[in-house]
Amino acid sequence: MDEVFKALADPSRRTLLDALFERDGQTLSELEARLPMTRFGVMKHLKVLEGARLVTSKRRGREKLHFLNPVPIRLIHNRWVSKYAEPWATGLSELKKDIETKEQPHGESV
Amino acid sequence: MEKVFEIYIKTTPERLWEAITDEQTRQKYNFGVGVSSDWAPGSRYESVHPQAGISIAEGENLEVEPPRRLVQSFTALWSDQVKDEGPSRVTWEIEPVGSSCRLTVTHDQLREGANDELFGGWPMILSGLKTLLESGELLDTPGSLRYSGASADAE
Repeated sequence: MDEVFKALADPSRRTLLDALFERDGQTLSELEARLPMTRFGVMKHLKVLEGARLVTSKRRGREKLHFLNPVPIRLIHNRWVSKYAEPWATGLSELKKDIETKEQPHGESV
Repeated sequence: MEKVFEIYIKTTPERLWEAITDEQTRQKYNFGVGVSSDWAPGSRYESVHPQAGISIAEGENLEVEPPRRLVQSFTALWSDQVKDEGPSRVTWEIEPVGSSCRLTVTHDQLREGANDELFGGWPMILSGLKTLLESGELLDTPGSLRYSGASADAE
């Protein structure tokens, strides 16, 4: 998890992720052409992003394609945000029960 | 269009394969929806929501190589919009790394600009699968049984 936060702490790396979010599966050359970064800069940042598993790559013939992998961000979300979402889910399922019970005038409550 | 999702899970390839292909286990982290099939190469599979009784997805098992590789055609059925997208392809690849497994899900043969509902659920599903296999606990995260309405009905 440290690696994810470290990777996300740099604006250039966030820009790289934005570029992949916009269009997934780009080569180093495509990313270099689209961003105000040197080839070396893109390579260096991609390496950090790949280390944090935020970017995953696939070989396609002679090309290496880079993909945004949102799963590590989801794990961070689960660790904190989901815990706050829990009361909402419980509240909503109770509301559902409540409404469904009231909608049956002769129904017995379950 | 192609999307790639990757996660490391501390488990064995066999347990991971079972969690992906066993209907009851799948329900626990897949929005409450399991998947049923005989898993023979070329066979069909379908995902039906157990409470609502509606089909969520269906397709063919194109390649079945337990416990390492599963390639499926995927047709989403949960709304008219996603039905219009037609079939795409999902490839599950399991690779042991030390005492863990790297699981890569590649969702491709998607139309350019395809409806993001088709692939948007993968991070929730895969993170839920990780939690289930590593902690053995029933999840309370989005994508789990609680969010399918199943556990609320069972209480």
